[in-house]
This record gives sequence, C-alpha cells and structure tokens, in this order.
Amino acid sequence: MTAPLQFELTLNGARCEGEIDSRSLLVDAVRTLGATGARIGCRTGDCGACTIVVDGRLTKSCLVLAASAAGSTVFTIEGSTDPVTTTLQQTFIDHKGFQCGFCTSGMILTAAQALRDKPDLTDDDIRRALSGNLCRCTGYDDIVRAVRAAADRLLEKRGNTAAKA
Amino acid sequence: VIARHFAYETPRDLGAATAILAAGGAGVAVLGGGTWLVPNMSLGASAPDVVLDTRHLGLQSIEESPDELLIGARVTYEQIKASALVRRHAPLLALMANKITGGLQITGQGTLGGSACYANPSSDVPACLAVLGARLQLASSMGQRDVPAAEFFTAAFVTARRADELLTSIVIPKCASPRAGYYKLKFSTGSWPIVTAACLPLSDGEKPGLRIGIGGACVTPVVFSVDMAAQEAASVEASVAAAATQSIVDEWSDEFAGPGYRRAVAGAIAVRALRACQGAAR
Repeated sequence: MTAPLQFELTLNGARCEGEIDSRSLLVDAVRTLGATGARIGCRTGDCGACTIVVDGRLTKSCLVLAASAAGSTVFTIEGSTDPVTTTLQQTFIDHKGFQCGFCTSGMILTAAQALRDKPDLTDDDIRRALSGNLCRCTGYDDIVRAVRAAADRLLEKRGNTAAKA
Repeated sequence: VIARHFAYETPRDLGAATAILAAGGAGVAVLGGGTWLVPNMSLGASAPDVVLDTRHLGLQSIEESPDELLIGARVTYEQIKASALVRRHAPLLALMANKITGGLQITGQGTLGGSACYANPSSDVPACLAVLGARLQLASSMGQRDVPAAEFFTAAFVTARRADELLTSIVIPKCASPRAGYYKLKFSTGSWPIVTAACLPLSDGEKPGLRIGIGGACVTPVVFSVDMAAQEAASVEASVAAAATQSIVDEWSDEFAGPGYRRAVAGAIAVRALRACQGAAR
C-alpha cells in the first residue's frame, strides 16, 4: 500500500489541504476539489482538455502527479477571471468556437497564455499555440476566428488606453 | 489515478537522489517533465516501485564556460527557445526546439534531458545531441562520469545510463559557425517525425566539410561527415544523399512507416537539411 501524502496547494485563490493518494494525477486532484473545468480526455497528454495553469505555467495536468504540484498555485478555468480570459470566453461565444464544449476550457486557457506571450499574434501563431489541444467538433476554423477576434479586441482596448494616456 | 502503487520521493539534493537510485536500482523511475513517465504509468506500460521526482534538484539552468554550454537536465524546450546563449552557441538546438510538436504545454513541460534518457528513436533530441558532439553528465553515489552522445544511445529506448545514475546536465561544445540546418519529415502537423536530419558545417579549420546527423531512421542516431573540398554543389548533395542512405543500417520501423521506408527517404531529408544549412546565415 502507498502511504497517503500530506498535500496542500492554492486552487483558484483558495488554500486547499489534506491527504492524497500518491498515485493521483493533478487533474484527478483538482476535479476532486471541485474544479471540474479541467477535463479528462485522454490521459496521454495528447488532447489538452485537462490544461490548467500551475505556478504561471500552462500545464497538461494529466501529465503531472498531484504530489509534484504540492505547494503550487493552480488556476483552472473557474478561477481565471482576468480580462484576457473573459474576452476569449465572449469571442468563443460570438464566433461559435465550440460545439460540445469538452475542449473549450483547455482551448481558452491555452489561447490566453498565447495572447499574453504575444498580444499581436498571427493566425499561424494561433494554430501553433493550440496544436496541443484537440477539438473533434469544430474543425478549428471557428476557434481560430474566436482567438483572432479576442486578440483584435484586446489590442484595440490597449490602443484606446494608450491614446487616453 | 494510476493503478499500481509506488513510493514517491522528492530528494532535496543530489546526494539524497543518488542514494535513492543506489538503493532502488532499476525499480526507480526518474521523473523530469513527466510527459513520458506519467502517461506510461497511467497506461500501465511503466510500473516503477519508486518515483524519484527531481523537482527540488534545480538542474534548470543554461550556463556557459569559455568553450561549452551547460544545459541542466530539467531545462524545457521553452527555455531552450528563449535562451540567447543557445541561439548564439548552439543554433541547431534552437531550431530543433522551435519545431517540437504538442503545443505550448508540451514544450513547457517536456525536457531535453528527459527526452535523451527516454531515447525514443522517433524523438528529435538524440540525433541533435549526437551531431553536436554533446556529452551527458551522469551522477551516482560512486561519482560522476561524462558519456558522449554517440555512445549514450545504445538501442531503442535504451541508453548507457546505469540504473543507479541520474542525468544532471548536457554539455554542448560551442559551435563556431552560426549556420545550422534542420529538417524533419512528418505526415501531419502534430505527428512524430518520421526522419530528422541536422546539418552543421565542420569546425576543424581549413578543410571544408559537413557533419550530418540522422534521427528517427535507425534505432539510434547516426552521424557522418562529408568532405566538401573540390566538389561541385550538385555532387555535394549527391554525396550527402548517398552517405545518408548508407548510414541506415539498423532501420527503425513502426506503424507510421514500415520497413524500408525510412531508408528510402533518408537521403532526400538529409539534402533538405543541407540546403537549409547553406541558406541559413544569421
């Protein structure tokens, strides 16, 4: 038997602690803690549905032992309320960037990271950034359009702010 | 949850880590970025008794000495991409990292050292390390040793690392030339490479030549040199293609490309890397 591990992390701003089985994946742990926006698609690191942010780094949480994230600060889609993420959520609705929605939280968190890394990204940049997130409904074009629209909207907003300053 | 039980260890220093490896031997799996070990454990393909998580060992810096780059075993592809030192002194490695598939997450989680130790014939890393003349630094409770990349990869998914050893860093001789070419054949954007080719100008003084590394085509990477003295451009390409084809002895085949395929395309892929190298001057 594996001895349970003492475990604590900060999930979406709330401190969580307790015992976990050392065999738990991080995606299992955050879902157990209520953050079910992290989805389990493949458990092989291919689909990206379990994407979350661990200590500021975009992470496929099925590739991480929960124990390895002890002490970390973790954000899932539920706790991601920054302007980049909320803009993306709106443009995904506007441009029908999803159908079944299973991949959407991973898509949005990945797109948000890509937009923070490079606010003026090209369509090629968008496709490359999202290449680790699979969608079996949309054929991707609407997702790329949604991210493009978010990029344009955020750049416009930033331009307006700069003009006022 | 992973089905099989295992002990989870997070040593705080190298001494503690090598002691765990010395005690547990082949039953210990070293956890780096997790992109291989964790899914293999989820699938039951890997069933270690002990998982040694290297997260508190550092091993994440990129440093230089006068002649070499020292890359920590836990350095990710994203760190390679962002490193000015790597771009200046090992441009091939930057080219390779920029073409790793799997999206932002995989390039941020996967590590150079992890890929080297996993030694998947289809990975980009082994052939690049071999053609760069890299050395892999291994630590154990017995001491430390350096293994040249050409001797490190011994078979598909097998390396010269003993079960009691831990890869700590990868040493890469600084490249004198800013030129490097990298080309890989794959059948879709997110696919594993079928064959990779890396091309570097030879650095030994006045004799013009090329060093070429072929990955993905054999169970281990192959490296060969081509003399360019007194050769027309067309005949250099023909020499490279012929040497590449000839180098494919222990051919790798899998569900992506059956027996004979990789040998058949190796020459053409090597020539594309050569052209990329000749076209690329920073």
